[in-house]
Order: sequence, then C-alpha cells, then structure tokens
Amino acid sequence: MRLVLDHLTMGHQLWSLTANGIFFPGVHLVSGDVGSGKSTLALMMAGLLAPESGTVIRDDIPQMMLSFQFPEYHVTGLSVAEECRSWDLDPDAVIRSAGIDVTGETAALSLSRGELKRLHLACVLARDYDLLLLDEPFSSLDCPGKEWVCGQLNKRAGGITVIFTHEQSIFPDIDHIWEIVGEELADCGDMPGAVVRWQHAPPLVKKLICTGRSPLALTPEGIREAACRTRG
Amino acid sequence: MITFDNIRYRHLAIDTLAIAPGVTSVIGPNGSGKSTFLKLCAGIAEPDCGTVLVDGCAPRETEIGYVNEFPDRNILFSTVTDELASPLRFRHTPCRETDRSVRACMETMGITRLLDRNMQDLSGGEKILVALAAAFIGRPRVLILDECDSHLDADRCAWLNTALRASGAGYVIRCTQQMETAAEGDHLVYIEGGGVVHAGTPAAVFPLLADTPFYPFSWRWPV
Repeated sequence: MRLVLDHLTMGHQLWSLTANGIFFPGVHLVSGDVGSGKSTLALMMAGLLAPESGTVIRDDIPQMMLSFQFPEYHVTGLSVAEECRSWDLDPDAVIRSAGIDVTGETAALSLSRGELKRLHLACVLARDYDLLLLDEPFSSLDCPGKEWVCGQLNKRAGGITVIFTHEQSIFPDIDHIWEIVGEELADCGDMPGAVVRWQHAPPLVKKLICTGRSPLALTPEGIREAACRTRG
Repeated sequence: MITFDNIRYRHLAIDTLAIAPGVTSVIGPNGSGKSTFLKLCAGIAEPDCGTVLVDGCAPRETEIGYVNEFPDRNILFSTVTDELASPLRFRHTPCRETDRSVRACMETMGITRLLDRNMQDLSGGEKILVALAAAFIGRPRVLILDECDSHLDADRCAWLNTALRASGAGYVIRCTQQMETAAEGDHLVYIEGGGVVHAGTPAAVFPLLADTPFYPFSWRWPV
C-alpha cells in the first residue's frame, strides 16, 4: 500500500505548489503556512482535484476518506441523527463516541463548531480506511477532544493517515513529517530525525531542540520525556 | 470594565463577572458556552434577562469588531476588497479614505497578495486573515475573536498576539484552544457547563486547572 505523488504541480498566477514523494503506511504530518496549499494538496491526494501536471497513484488503496477542514461542509442531515445515519452509523453510538451533550433531534448546524467537529470526526473515525486524509482535524476541538482524536488515530491498525494541520501542542504518534516550504512539498523524513529538519515545528519543540533535547515523539508523552530529560 | 450581571441566555448563566481592559482569553470544553458568551459581549445576542455593559454602555452602542468561529459566516461580499471596505462603507466613510485604509490594512496584515481575490477562492486561514482585517479596520473599542488561531500557522499566531496589543482596542476577548496563547493574555475566563467556573489572571486560574488537559504544556514541563 502506498500513495505516490509523481511530480504534481498546481497553481495560478499568484501561487503554485509542486509535490513529489511516496507516502507509506503510518501517520504522516503535513504542515505549512496559511495559503501554502495544504488543502489543495489534500484534494489532489483524494482525487477530488486534478493537478495541472503529474499524477497521484493510489496503490492498493481500495478505501479512502477525506475529512474537510470545515466540518460544516460535510453536513447533509438536518438533525444530528440524520447526519449520523447518512454515514450509515447508529446516532446514539456516534453521540456517545463524540462526547457531546446533544440529542438525535438537535439540528446539526445549531451545534457549536467544536461539537460539530467532534460529531464529524466520530463519524469519520468509526470506520477504517486504507487512506485517511484529515485536513485540520484539531481546529475547534478542545484539549480533551484533541487527545481523543489522537487516541483514535494511535489505535488505527494500519493504512496511511495524512494529517494537514497548524496544531501546536497535541499530536498523535507521528511517523513521518512533511512541510510546504517555498511552494514545494519538502520531505523532513521519519521521526525522530525529522523533527530537527522541520521548519514549522511548534515553538515548544523548537525550544527543546535548541536546548539539546530533541523529542523522540511528538505525543504529549514524547514532549514530557524530552522536557524532563537531563541535559548531557 | 465589561460587566455581566445576572445573565441568563440559553444554557449560559452568569451571576456576576467583570472583565478589565486588556487581552482576555476564554477557554473551556466544546459546547460549554464560550461562543454564546462572546456573542453576548458583542451584542450579537441579547440575554433573556440581566445586563451586559461595556464601560456602562450596551454592546450594540459600542464599536465592536467580531470574528465568527465559522470562517464562512464572516463573509458578506464576494471579493476581498469589498469585504475589507464594508465596515468603512457602512459608516459612510469617503471613498478615497476607504481605499487608503483598505490598502494600509492589507499591508499591516501582510495580505496584499489577496487584494484581487474572490472570498470563496481563499483557504480557511486566508478567510480568517481577511475577517480579522475587517474587524481591525474600523479600529473598534472591543475586539472579539472566536478561535481564529485554530486556522493560523505558528508565525501568524505570534503575529496576531502582537497585533492585538497594537490594535488600539481597549478590550480584546478571544476564545482559544491553544493554552500557550491563553497563558499570554492579561485575563483568563474558564467556562464549563454554561457557567464561569474560574476568572482571573492566567497565573491565578491555570494552577486551578493543573490536573486537566487545559494546563499549558510549557507550564507543566518548563523548558
């Protein structure tokens, strides 16, 4: 199983992006500045947007899911129950999993954005996909919600997970880091070595690296271990 | 001061709260009432009972800049230029002055490259930057921002923290799920279950949350 980006190019007069690389099973993190093309890249990976040149090869990936940055774009049901059923899921089970204080009759678009994001992610994470593309999965989530998503992703049995995010604190166990720099997708490599090449590393991670305590993992446990490590 | 007195609105109940000038961060679980709280501060919602006052005036009688947590719900016009100009046009600001202000605001915000773009073609983060610019451009007394930082990269977040201080707004009230950002504010309000559970300075409030995921990493493990 692999996702191949073979010399992709995309852009217009003010902006462009080139991407080349192979995504193997594991959890991949893609970061980049606002407007650098992360969501566009996610759409191309999912086959929802054709690149101007180059190809996306989804090799041995029968099932795929793209979670949009804005959870409201996914809503097709008027009520929470209708929305859950549109994913062919039991509403009560989804509401329990999402940890939100609503009923099935609650209007889906009356939820707060954080509640809507939880509901949407509970629907997405209820099934296993060979390729799971998550565009800003942590935006609008509270800290316990972010930890819940990380726990769900860490439990994924296999497949390729690609997370496009600006998140600065709470991450799942990341295997590989990529970032968009200078209109190009750069491969920072596998963890833990990738973190020292990662220009978009969160400020706390950068501080740890500067003090000679590069984290071995980006999980809260990994950050704690690095922060508590005796400087040698 | 921004004062809340005997407020009841939807599931939000606040007996009394006073927010001093400066940057106030509002934190709490999803669905706890943070956005509702911000809408009451902004005068977008009016309480069923009780009063919210900004230096003794109703929020609707105060110049307020507001950014919604749903980026698309901020958009009124199809182009970036019209969107940014709209707060000034609504005030009947002369056209030439409006054009000058729009250009200056775009330069300050670092978004001049978006000048001729359509709003619907922007990325999520770019939509938020334009919404922030539209909130800033009228130089309001109160700036109310609902989780803008969840759409911004680290550099933009750092820039925003500085820009808020330089905005001239007497009060900045912002919801955030980035606890490191909340720790940099002057005041902190923790809302849970429709009520204000803690309020004070970050130094006073965060220790009360030390056993929760809301405690900042950099406080838990100082580097």
